[in-house]
Amino acid sequence: MTPDQWTARLSEYLDGELDGAERQALDAHLDKCADCRDTLAELKRVTLRATALSDREPAADLWPGIAARIGLPAATAARVSRLAPRRWSFTLPQLAAAALLLAAVGAGGFWALQQSLTPTPVARTQPETAPPEGLARLASRRDEVDDVYDRAVADLERVLAENRSRLDTATVRVLEESLRTIDRALARARTALAQDPSDSYLNAHLAETMRRKLDLLRRAAALATASS
Amino acid sequence: MHEPSVGALTVNRTPAVDDAADVALAQSGDGHAFERLYRGHVARVHSLARRMAGPDEADELTQDTFVRVWEKLGTFRGEAAFGTWLHRLAVNLILSRRSRMGRDRQRFDDADGALDLRPTAPARPELAIDFETAIARLPEGAKHVFVLHDVEGYRHDEIAGQMGIAVGTSKAQLHRARMLLRGHLEPKAKERGRR
Repeated sequence: MTPDQWTARLSEYLDGELDGAERQALDAHLDKCADCRDTLAELKRVTLRATALSDREPAADLWPGIAARIGLPAATAARVSRLAPRRWSFTLPQLAAAALLLAAVGAGGFWALQQSLTPTPVARTQPETAPPEGLARLASRRDEVDDVYDRAVADLERVLAENRSRLDTATVRVLEESLRTIDRALARARTALAQDPSDSYLNAHLAETMRRKLDLLRRAAALATASS
Repeated sequence: MHEPSVGALTVNRTPAVDDAADVALAQSGDGHAFERLYRGHVARVHSLARRMAGPDEADELTQDTFVRVWEKLGTFRGEAAFGTWLHRLAVNLILSRRSRMGRDRQRFDDADGALDLRPTAPARPELAIDFETAIARLPEGAKHVFVLHDVEGYRHDEIAGQMGIAVGTSKAQLHRARMLLRGHLEPKAKERGRR
């Protein structure tokens, strides 16, 4: 094999794509060829530079144009951009609770999606005492989600209670009022869903309200932790 | 209870888990959730578009990608992470757009010498042109394979499938790109190559 032919195989060598015999042959060549060793080191540097590249946001906000094209109001842009940075400070128990809660919200969203796809006329023609199998299965899934969600919220609330003294009185008052408001909304959504479990709007609303409670608890926990 | 031995940890929110909730909400028509998905992924999609197609087309390709994502969101079943699905969709859109514009074929066969990757400044590393600029100056085919393989982490068989080329061609283009970039990163390497 000529030197150029060896060089042509260096990327495959670097990527571990040569078979055993080829690799052994190239290993032997590298032992005696300083140029190829240098080239190999340089190719490795190139790959390292590539993996170290960082992504950049576009210079202009593209969301308004996208929103217009898909028929959504662009006004949401300012609201989202005011959200807190996507970094949070958690202790491990908080992290575990947040993970559980996020999973619950995710499943809630899944529930909402499933419900939106369930043909409601079929569900409503079934006798109340004998719900369709699919609906019963989803109702069971919903119970599981609620259970996980309730336990996760309880965990996060306990963590918050332990750090409550680190928050000032006005913050605690606003926090408690906000939580009460969200809890009332959750209760209303659940009551309404008990009457009409297949209502896609109510399911989406419930999932969004669960998310709001998650965000509020998470922000409060982060604030309390940061104040310690 | 807290575990006394465990201090506070600073963590990133887990994008995949956050995405799952937002995807479900967006699939049910929630525009706010879709905007959160956009904001979480726009930097990666835009960077991919900029590297693959150039800065002039990156904005339009990014917008087109998210419009396509919105249109196809109902087909996303969660077999892969949302980010992976979105990224593949972006790659396919960018490649098909470039192919339609007839640029691939024209530039794929460009000789290495057709593009001068030598730094315009004296051959000192601190004065060398930016690595992103060097990537942008690669021949089209080599650039696409390099970005997909070395920057984005795709395998050769995946790249070959997406670009409609043979696996061997993908490997050859990757090596070509790396050799050109190595000459840019390390001036001594290019000098040695000329000896």
